[in-house]
Formats: sequence, structure tokens, C-alpha cells
Amino acid sequence: MLTITDLSARVEEKEILKGINLTINPGEVHAIMGPNGSGKSTLASVLAGRSDYEVTGGSVELFEQDLLELEPDERAAEGLFLAFQYPVEIPGVTNTYFLRSAINAIRKYHGQEDMPPKEFMALVKEKAALMELDPAMLSRSVNEGFSGGEKKRNEIFQMAMLDPKFCVLDETDSGLDIDALKIVANGVNALRGGDRGILVITHYQRLLDYIVPDFVHVLMDGRIVKSGGKELALELEEKGYDFIKEEVAARA
Amino acid sequence: MTATSLSSDPLVAAYDELLPVLTVDGLPGFEELRAAAIRRYRESGIPTTRDEEFKYTPLHALTETKYRFGYGANLTREDVSGLLLGDVDAITVVFVNGQFAPDLSSTDSLPNGAYIGSFSEATEFEDDIKAHLGSIAHFDGRLGSTNDLRFVDLNTAYLGDGTLVFLEKNVAVERTIHIVHVVSASEVAALSFPRILIVLGENAEAKVIESYVTFAGNGVTIPVTEVRLAASARLEHNRLQNESLASTHIANIFVDQATTSVYTSNNINFGASVSRCDINAYVGGEHCETWLNSANVAAGSQIIDNHTRIDHAQPNCQSFEVYKSILKDNGVGVFNGKIFVYEDAQKTDAKQTNQAILLSPTATMNTKPQLEIFADDVKCTHGATIGQLREDALFYLRARGIPLAEAQGLLVYAFAAEVLEKITIDEVRGKLEAALFEKLAS
Repeated sequence: MLTITDLSARVEEKEILKGINLTINPGEVHAIMGPNGSGKSTLASVLAGRSDYEVTGGSVELFEQDLLELEPDERAAEGLFLAFQYPVEIPGVTNTYFLRSAINAIRKYHGQEDMPPKEFMALVKEKAALMELDPAMLSRSVNEGFSGGEKKRNEIFQMAMLDPKFCVLDETDSGLDIDALKIVANGVNALRGGDRGILVITHYQRLLDYIVPDFVHVLMDGRIVKSGGKELALELEEKGYDFIKEEVAARA
Repeated sequence: MTATSLSSDPLVAAYDELLPVLTVDGLPGFEELRAAAIRRYRESGIPTTRDEEFKYTPLHALTETKYRFGYGANLTREDVSGLLLGDVDAITVVFVNGQFAPDLSSTDSLPNGAYIGSFSEATEFEDDIKAHLGSIAHFDGRLGSTNDLRFVDLNTAYLGDGTLVFLEKNVAVERTIHIVHVVSASEVAALSFPRILIVLGENAEAKVIESYVTFAGNGVTIPVTEVRLAASARLEHNRLQNESLASTHIANIFVDQATTSVYTSNNINFGASVSRCDINAYVGGEHCETWLNSANVAAGSQIIDNHTRIDHAQPNCQSFEVYKSILKDNGVGVFNGKIFVYEDAQKTDAKQTNQAILLSPTATMNTKPQLEIFADDVKCTHGATIGQLREDALFYLRARGIPLAEAQGLLVYAFAAEVLEKITIDEVRGKLEAALFEKLAS
């Protein structure tokens, strides 16, 4: 469903991604791990279409469409969802209003009518319960005054509401205590299955105890240097990133 | 200014002929107040852009267009309820073109110890009105350069009827109090000088909306509101100015706060060609809170000018001020925020924020914070930002599927809606949110 071919990108003058190749098939959960500064979050931002990043080569196809040609909102409407590492606070816009706008914008993109308010409210109730969100939070401004854990839960809640075909989770575990981590992981696991593809980006193996990936890739200095099964994450946890650095050096 | 131009000032050209009419309309006993006010006004006349306090706000309309008193206009309750906030559930006092409209007002079933209504009907409260009226709207004994008093003097010179909200000690009015000023004019604009006096006794509490709206035509509206809060009194003072787009609106609000009182102003300006609002709060007791919130939208060639002045004369008080403007097309925003912290006012905590969003390259914002601090142990901050929308928020909305134009619209709305959220009367807030949405979409 997602095919990344030789993707390179830079921020200002700094080359960050230096030729990424990755294919994710329907229903698969992939994890990308890597040390700080390896380009993990850049990859997430490039996929979602953040304008600070300039793609300098390669291609990304989602369902055989050229993803890089699409605007960020079109990518979302085509079924791409990015759970932000740092969810943005938007004072003055309530969570409910924001979600209704998003759902109806995506429906409009597909030539559908607005979701009936009753159906929308029922969906909100169901998904809020899944994420153990206090209903009072829904009438508050988007992420405003939310704790770190609440913000991340709110991301996965939005993901559940929008029912995307392909999800990118950018360091969703950062800043979470173990209870919040479990709730977030439960939410993500509830969305696993079927044809939905998930790409989990993380620095630590901890999250992968709860969201068990089918494949693990190690990103270093803008390239995927090693891929394997879920046991690769455990190996990384045990040995740190240095053993891979040595492997890469030996190869070169 | 020369004598020739004075006599041609249309605001006072017919003053001497009108004076007998004014005295019939309101309460007796204000002759001296009026006489002193007209004398002061005549010494200076209409401000020009050479006057510091009107630098960005030309008042050509006052000399170049026609307007007159519009007494005798006849509106029905349906006419009023069709206007923005016209149908809010409230104790309602309605003035049309500056004239009290008892048939459109609903002031029955007031709690004991409360009077809400016109001066003309407040015969029992004549002494109270005399004790307070004009004693709040002044700068005598204040520090530093003052805001301009000319339109206050003009309003006082034309003092006739007005609105009194008078709550005795410990009286809390739970129902919203709505003071409505409607303009109903034909091709000539209607001139009016609304006057409001709000006096809250010790530990009294109220929520007031002061609204200025147009039924037909245009207005030249020059209101003065005086607010006095006794110890521990609490007032939420909402204000909506949504007059027709060729109107001129020049408002002055004066607040006098005693110990531990809480004053909250939510000042919303959407209408008029030239909209000016000065709020002057004198904090004369310890442990007071003063909240000044404001949302302004100027489109077309509207000029929306806000001046505020907070006098911290006593220690241990807090003031929080957030003024926001959205400027479209050739819209002009002006903000001047004065804060004075007197020598004795130690431990003052004052925070002033002024933010503007410019939605077109031809929109303008002029902002001037002016803090004068004479005490040494205080916390005073001010910040002014003029800018476009936040990129991170725009991207966040787009990443959820909301197209660029819609995302921009949502953020602009949210920028001002954040101020509307301070209004605790749900019905009013909801209607103003809808009006804001419409104003931005047009």
C-alpha cells in the first residue's frame, strides 16, 4: 500500500533523508527505530507533507498514487494519518468542532454528504470510551491545557474517529507514563487488522512491547541500515544502537 | 480652533435650542453638570488626527455628513428581537435613537434592592443618580497623560434620559441585564448620546450586556458608561458594538473599583465605519481584579480603535488585559493601552496583551502599549504581536483533512472566539460566535 523509493529530503541546507526504501503491505505493522537525529521524525513529516521539508529525490506511493504531489489535507483525505510527536494546541476551537470539520472535509473530498450529527455524536462517544477520554475534554479547545498523556491519547482518539487506511505514529510514546502508554497502545491495537497499515516511529523499544510490529527497521543517518522481525527491537534494546553502527562500519 | 469653526461644529450647532428639550426628558437638577460640560467641550471641539489620542482615527464623518436627533422612531418588539442579541432572555432596557422605549423594555420582577431601568422612571433613586453620575467619568487627580474627555463632555452636555443599574448591598441579580441601544434612521443618520450608570453595592453581583445595534440607516452614537463597584462587588460587563457599516460610534467607559471588587469587561466590536471605545478603570482599593477582554473585526474600510487605561492606585491588585483584532481588506485597527502603577501600588500584577491578525496586505494595525510604573515591587508585562496565522496550527488542521482555506478560516475564527469564551452567558456567547463566523465569511 505504501512504497517509499530512494527518498531523500532536506531541511534548509541540511540533507536528512539520504535514500529511504521501504514497502509496507496492507495489514502490516512496521516499526522504524533509530537514534536521535537519524531522520525518523523527518520521515514522518515528509509523509504528512509538512512544508519545512524539501524532498530532493525519490518517490512515495500510497495506493499507487504519487503522495508527494498531494497537499497535506489531500493526503489525509486519501487515508493517511500522522499522530504528531508534539500535538498542537488550538485555543478557540473545540475538539468536537475540530473533529466534525475534519470528518466532513474528508467526506466532501470523496463527494459524500456531511455525517449526520447523531451518527457523529455516537461515534465520538464510542471512540472516547475506547481511549478512556473524559467527555468534558471534547468541549475543550483542541489540546489546550492537556497533559502530555492527554495530548497523545487525543491523537489516537482522532485516529480512531477518522478511520484512516494508513497511520504514522511519530514518537507516540514520548512523554507517556506506563498507564498512558497502555491506553494509547490499546487504542492502536484496536485499530490493527484488516488492510490498515501502521508505521510506528520510536526511539525506544518500550512501545513495541505493547504494539508488536511485524517488521522492524533501523534508521541511521538518513538510511535504513537494517531490517528484521520484532526480535530486532529486543536486540536493540539489549545492545543499544552501537552494535549496528559497528555492523554498518564493517560493511563499508 | 477659531470661533468660526466652532459655530460650525454640527455636534453643538443647535445646542442652545435643544437644551430645554433635554431638561424635560431626564431628571431635573443636572443644569450645572451640563453647563460645565458644554463649556469644556466648546473650548476644544472635535478632535483631529493631530490630537495624539486620535492620531489614527479621522472623524471626518462628524463634520462632512448629515445627522440629527432621531426622536420618535417607532419600533415593535419583533423589530428588536430580530437584531443581534435582540431576543436574549434578559431584564431588558431598550433605547431607540437615544430615547427610552418603555414598550420594548422588560424590567418587571426585579429582586428587592435592585433598580434596573431608565433615569426618567427612577424617581426614588434621584439622589443616588446625583451622587454618582459624572463623579466616575473624570481624570481628576490621576497620574500622567490622560485619555481624551471631549466626547465624555459632549455626552454630559446632552444629558437627558439614561439607564440606571443600581444594586444594593449583597444583591445578586442572576438574570442577565441587557441594555439595548438601537438606531433606526432613514437617509439622515441618527445622533444619540446614550448614558449608562451602573452602581453595585458592597458584595453585589450582576452580568450586564450593553449592546449597540442598527435597525435601519446609520447612527452617530456617543455613549458614556459609568460603573462603580463597592467593596467585593462583581460585574461582568459585556459590550457589543454591531452598528451599521456607515455609522460612527465613540464610546467611553469609566470604572471605579473599591477593595476586592472584580470587574470583567468583554468588549466586542464588529460594526460602524469608525468605532472608538475607551475603557478607563480606576482601581482604588486593594485586592481587586480587573479583566479587560476584547475582540474586534474590521473589514472593508472600517477603523476600530480601542484605548484602555488602568490606574493601579492601591497595592495587591491584578489586571489582565487581552485585546485582539482581525483586520481584513483595508481595515484599520488601533490599540493604545495605558497602565499606571502608582507609588503606593506595590505588588501590582498587570498583564497586557494585544494581538492582531492581518488578512490582507492593505490592512493596518497601530498598537501602542504605554506603561508608567512608579512603584518598585510590581509585575507588569505587555506584549503586542501583529502577524499571520500560526503555521504549526495550520499544518495540524490540514493533516486532519481540512483544506487550507477552511483551516485558515477556522484559525481566524478561533483567534477571536477565544475572547468570546470569556462571556459566561451561554446564549449571548453562542449568538456572538455565530455573528463572528458570519462577519468573517462575508
